[in-house]
Amino acid sequence: MTIDTTSGPSFANAVPASGRAAGSGRTVLWNLLSLSVALGVWQLASVMLASPFFPGPGKIIRAFVQLSMQGDTSGHSLLTHAWASVQRVLVGFGLGVLLGVPLGLLMGLYPKVYAGTRSVLEPFRFIPPIAWIPLAIIFFSGLTRFAFLIFLGAVFPIFTSTLVGVARVEPIHRKVGVVHGASKMWTLRNVVVPTVLPDIMAGMRVGLGTAWLTIVAAELAGGISTGLGRLMINYAELMQVPHVIVGMLLIGFIGFLMNEALLLIEKRLFRWRWQVSL
Amino acid sequence: MHGQARSDPHAKVEVKASHRYGDLVVHEWLEFNVGTNEFVCICGPSGCGKTTLLDMLSGVLRPSQGAVLIDGTPADPKRHSISFVFQEPSTFPWLNVHDNVATGLRIKGAYKAEIDAKVREIVGIVGLTGFEKYYPHQISGGMKQRVAIARAFATDADLILMDEPFVSLDQPTRERMQREVLDIWRRKQRTVIFVTHNLEEAVFLGDRILILSAKPARIVADLPVAMSRPRDLLAPEFLKLRAQCMQLLHTPGAPDPAFNGHAKPE
Repeated sequence: MTIDTTSGPSFANAVPASGRAAGSGRTVLWNLLSLSVALGVWQLASVMLASPFFPGPGKIIRAFVQLSMQGDTSGHSLLTHAWASVQRVLVGFGLGVLLGVPLGLLMGLYPKVYAGTRSVLEPFRFIPPIAWIPLAIIFFSGLTRFAFLIFLGAVFPIFTSTLVGVARVEPIHRKVGVVHGASKMWTLRNVVVPTVLPDIMAGMRVGLGTAWLTIVAAELAGGISTGLGRLMINYAELMQVPHVIVGMLLIGFIGFLMNEALLLIEKRLFRWRWQVSL
Repeated sequence: MHGQARSDPHAKVEVKASHRYGDLVVHEWLEFNVGTNEFVCICGPSGCGKTTLLDMLSGVLRPSQGAVLIDGTPADPKRHSISFVFQEPSTFPWLNVHDNVATGLRIKGAYKAEIDAKVREIVGIVGLTGFEKYYPHQISGGMKQRVAIARAFATDADLILMDEPFVSLDQPTRERMQREVLDIWRRKQRTVIFVTHNLEEAVFLGDRILILSAKPARIVADLPVAMSRPRDLLAPEFLKLRAQCMQLLHTPGAPDPAFNGHAKPE
């Protein structure tokens, strides 16, 4: 898609309406092609190397089927593992949105509050969520522990983009409200939020990435029996490379689906924009 | 009311005010009235403090001395219905034409049926029927400014302030928009204060023209325009009045006792 913005003729694709629809069929074809090339190269490499530590796509599919149908060594199916991780991500990420957005709006609208609390907030941003794992293990258990860690990973990107977005509110748009006698609440809902929404969505997509990064690290740390991270470490200890890769690919796939869902929401919300960010 | 005696019971807007920011005197004493449904143009050299004057008129800014009264009470956006057409594009890009035009009515808390009826009427008057579902990025600059004008005239505004609304438009569009504004004003019956640097525009549009001096601003002249509309831009009396305005505009800022803020044309 990066080509669209630079090359002349395909610039027409940037126009929403019909141009985009015509181009999307070709995009799907290109993606299918690149996917099959990647799989082909992988298969070829595995055949040439012929090592148990470098399985081809076939072995991965077999491991996938086995994990889905029969479950892992302790009987948990792949679905159980995946759902455990997804649940944790959704709860933690949801908390991150619920706190990050209002906090970002508040600090953005009252820069003095932000300026006065920077020294408290900002250092926290640089403590990686992974560094919280030891404390989280001591203080929390089960879903709470993961929700807490994922929340820490997701909240800062969401907070920071919201904060930056508020600065983008056009003074003239505020003034339209003021001269018509609008209340502060009206301006917040009808001027600030619509302006900041694209930044909130961008922050959410970054936050989603951080959320997945955190969950796998947290599950690797142990103390639980389910989760995709757990599954991977269990099979790594058994030197079962295909099963580990199944876990990795599933994380990539679920993350991809969640990101697509956010993009879909974004496209619906921002029909007024020239270009939808990718 | 509020201790101020109303000098003219027919005036919609009464200005008796001066304003300074610290040591900077923006306005020397300004005193003028605007009648109900009158179309008044205000002209002045750049930096004559028109933004400050407009802020005072819209009630966003309290004059440091005196008051701006609308219907006898100090201008207040929450109490009075004031609409504003800005110089720069001010439509909300995330709202379609219909919702943009409805903004003022929504702030005033109008009912949906009323909003729909009023928006339909004004969208028709400004010639945007059929474009209600379009977003600002899909329409031209002239159409966007038409949306802003429709937004201002859609409310039952006591006062419509227009701050050089056509300055960013090309000449043909500008001329068409001037005729359109007069048409909307005639049909909707509103009080309009129109700020412009363009004297031709002022003479073409206004019932009256107020000429301001450079900072500290005072009223150099208050000229009624006697010509009937539509005005011919090349008619001798049009050109004469325009020339007269031009001369007045170049009057130096120093006080001139002959005018004393209440000059009358010969």
